[in-house]
Amino acid sequence: MIFTVKKRDGREMPFNIEKIADAVIKAFRASGELDEQIKAAQAQMNLLGNDDLLTNAALKVAAEAVGHLEAENKTKPDIEEIQDAVEKALTEGGYADTAKSYILYRAERTRVREVNTRLMQTLHDITFSSAKESDLKRENANIDGDTAMGTMLKYGSESAKHFYTMMMLKPEHSRAHMDGDIHIHDLDFYSLTMTCCQIDLIKLFKNGFNTGHGHLREPKDIRSYAALAAIAIQSNQNDQHGGQSVPNFDYAMADGVRITYRKAYLSNIVKALILYTGKEEEEIQPGIKKLHSEMAEMGMVATLVPNEKFVETEAHELAKIYDADIVKKSQKFAEKMAFEETDKATFQAMEAFVHNLNSMHSRAGAQTPFSSINYGMCTEPEARMVMKNLLLTTEEGLGGGETAIFPIQIFRVKDGINLNPGEPNYDLFKLACRVSAKRLFPNFSFQDAPYNLQYYKPGHPETEISYMGCRTRVIGNHYDPSREISYGRGNLSFTSINLPRIAIKMKSVDLFFKELDRMLQLVSDQLMERFAVQSRRKVKNFPFLMGQGVWIDSDKLGWEDTVGEVIKHGTLSIGFIGLAETLVMLTGKHHGESEASQELGLKIIGHMREFCDKESERLGLNFSLLATPAEGLSGRFVRMDKKKFGIIPGVTDRDYYTNSFHVPVYYRISAFKKLSLEAPYHALTNAGHISYIELDGDPTQNLDAFEKIVKHMAKVGIGYGSINHPVDRDPVCGFVGVIGDVCPRCGRSEGHAISCEKLAELRKKFPGMPAFRGIR
Amino acid sequence: MSEKEMSQYGEGIGFERIRRITGYLVGTVDRFNNAKRAEVNDRVKHGV
Repeated sequence: MIFTVKKRDGREMPFNIEKIADAVIKAFRASGELDEQIKAAQAQMNLLGNDDLLTNAALKVAAEAVGHLEAENKTKPDIEEIQDAVEKALTEGGYADTAKSYILYRAERTRVREVNTRLMQTLHDITFSSAKESDLKRENANIDGDTAMGTMLKYGSESAKHFYTMMMLKPEHSRAHMDGDIHIHDLDFYSLTMTCCQIDLIKLFKNGFNTGHGHLREPKDIRSYAALAAIAIQSNQNDQHGGQSVPNFDYAMADGVRITYRKAYLSNIVKALILYTGKEEEEIQPGIKKLHSEMAEMGMVATLVPNEKFVETEAHELAKIYDADIVKKSQKFAEKMAFEETDKATFQAMEAFVHNLNSMHSRAGAQTPFSSINYGMCTEPEARMVMKNLLLTTEEGLGGGETAIFPIQIFRVKDGINLNPGEPNYDLFKLACRVSAKRLFPNFSFQDAPYNLQYYKPGHPETEISYMGCRTRVIGNHYDPSREISYGRGNLSFTSINLPRIAIKMKSVDLFFKELDRMLQLVSDQLMERFAVQSRRKVKNFPFLMGQGVWIDSDKLGWEDTVGEVIKHGTLSIGFIGLAETLVMLTGKHHGESEASQELGLKIIGHMREFCDKESERLGLNFSLLATPAEGLSGRFVRMDKKKFGIIPGVTDRDYYTNSFHVPVYYRISAFKKLSLEAPYHALTNAGHISYIELDGDPTQNLDAFEKIVKHMAKVGIGYGSINHPVDRDPVCGFVGVIGDVCPRCGRSEGHAISCEKLAELRKKFPGMPAFRGIR
Repeated sequence: MSEKEMSQYGEGIGFERIRRITGYLVGTVDRFNNAKRAEVNDRVKHGV
C-alpha cells in the first residue's frame, strides 16, 4: 500500500488519491474526450450526472495508476513516477486525447516551475556570491558586480532576459539562443533601445542642449567644451546600452580652442596696453572689445596662428589711439601670452575630460559611460593643440598615474596627413605611438583601407571612418545611399552565430555551408523581429538620443512619434566567433598554419558577407557582418559545446573560442604575418573588426618597432588595430611599465612592504609618486 | 601601530595588471571573466 509521496523538494507527504484524480479531471476537461457522454447524461436530466461521470472516470484512472505503482513495488513514489503511471493508465484506458493533454499539462507545469526556479537560482547567485567567485558577476568587466547599483542592475538584467526568452522571442529564436546555436547580444535590452551611436558634437553644441535635467548653454571656452562633451556622452549613455562615440573630437574641440584664444588675446592685449600706456583698464578694455566684435562681424578674428588680416587691421585701428610701436609690442605680447594660456587651458580641459569619463556615472551608477573618441585628421592648429594635449594627459595617466580606461581613443591614420615624415600631423602620429606604447591607447584606424576610403570625401569629416572603441563601424548606407556618413548613426542590434558548432555537427564542408545558410536566415529573421519591436518605440523613450536630435533625422520628429523610419539608418549585424576552431574542425588546421584553411576561412566569411548584402537588398535595410568582440561570449559557446560534444582537440579543448576571425592567441606567428592574414577579413566584416599584436617587454623602449607595426597595418589593409603589451603598475611607488616578480622602481615583490625611508628617498627622484597613508 | 608597521608600507598590496580585453580596456585582470582570463594566459608574443 502507498501511504506517502515524495514531493519535488524532498519532503514526504501523506498520499491522497483524490489529488491524482483532480489532475486527471483537468486533463479530461482539456481534451473534451468525455464531453459526449456528459451531454448524454445531461439530456437524461441527470443533473448530478456530469460531475459524477467525470469523477468516476478520473478515480478509475487514478486507481489504475496506483495499481501500476504497487505492481512495481513503489511504496513511496515521487511525483514523476506517479505522473508516468497516470500517463500509462490513461493510454491503456483508451483515452488517447486525454493522455496527450495530460502530457502537455505536465510539460507546461515543468516549464513554469523551471522559469521560477532558474530565475530564483540566478537571483540567489547574484545576491550571495561575490564577483571574485561568480563568473556571472564578471560577465561584463566594466560593471562592478559587487556594488549595490551593480547588483540591482544585474537583477534587472537577468530578470529581463528571462522574460524575453520566455515571453517575447519567437520560440525558435529563443531555443537557438538558449541552446547556444546563436547569441542574441544585449538581450536584457531587447525591447528597450538600440546599441550605440556616433555623436556629432558640433551639431549638438549649436544653441546648447538639454540633458533632461536642465538646459546647458552653447559652450564658450575649451574647458566648457570638454565638460559638455563628457556630459553629452553620459546623457546619451542613459538612452542606449552600447558604446557612445564621438566621430569628430578634433574638429569639435577646435571650436572651443578658437573661442578660448580669442578671449585670451583680448585680455592680454588690454593688459599690455595698460602697462605700456599707464592708463586704467576701464579706459582701454571697452574700446578694444568693441573693435574686436566689429572686426569679427567682418570675418576678422584673432587666431592661434596669427593671421595677417586681423593683425594688420587691428594695428591700423589701434594706431589711431595709441603709439604704433606700443601697439606692435602689445600685439606680440598678447599673441605669446594668449597662445600659452590657451595651451594650458586646453591641457586642463583634456585632463578633466579624461578624468570625468573615468569617474562619471551612468546606468544607475554601476558603470562609467562606455566612451570612444575618434580624431587625427584635422590639420587646423586649434585641433592639433587639442590632440597634442589629449595625448599628453593620457600619457601622464590619472591622478595616481593610473592608466585611463576611458575614453577609448582612436587615432585615424591617413597617408598624406599623418603617416609619413613631412606630413602636417606626422608629429601627432609619432606622439600617438609613444602614448599607445605606454597606455594601450590610442588604437589606430585606417582611412586608406579601400573599404574605408571608398566613402571618404575630402573636406567632409562626416565621411571619415569612425569606429566605436569596441570595433563597431557604421558608414555604408543601403537604406539611403545619399547619407553614407558616420554622424548620428549606430548599430541597432546584433546576434552572433556559433560557427564551431556548425562545423562540429556537420563535419563536411558542403553540409557546413548548408547549415550556415539556415543559421544566417534564422538570425536575419530574429534581427527583423527585434527591429519591429524597436521601431515601435517613440522619441519620448529616448529623451537625449532622439529628443535632442543626436540620432540622424530625429530632429524632424515630435515627442510622440515612433522612431521606425529614422532608425533605418542604423545597422542590423550578424556576428560570429571561433573561425579558427571552425577551420580546425573542418580541415584539421586553422588559418595561421595552412593556406588552404585561410582560403576556406575567407570563403566562409565572404559567404556570410554576401548573405548580409543580399538581405540589405531584399529588405531595404543595412545588414552588415560583424567580427564579434565576444567578451562574455568567448566562454559561453565553448562551455555548451564541450558539454554536448566533449573535448575535441584544437576545437573545444580550451576555455574560450577564438575571437572572431583572429589567428589563435596561443599560436606562434610573426606580427607581420598575423596582420597580413587577418587584413582580408577586415574588408569583409563591414560592421566592424579589430586586429591585435602582442608585443613583448616595454614598447616605449622600442618605438620604431611600434611605429613599424602600425605602418604595416596601414599597408596590408587593416581597418582598425591596436598593439597589446603588459601595462603593470605598483600602487605603492606608482611605477608604470612591465613588472615581473619585483617592481623595478622600488624593488618590492607583490604583497610585500618596503621601508618608508626608501619611499621618501624615491619620492625625491619621482615627485609624482602616489601618497601613502597621507604622506606626500 | 607597531614600530615596524610605522616604518614599513605595502604589506598585502598587489601589483595592478591592465590587459586589453577586446577592443577596450576594463581595468585589471581580476575583473575578467574566466574564459577571458584563460585566453589572456594563453596569449603568446608576436615577433617583429
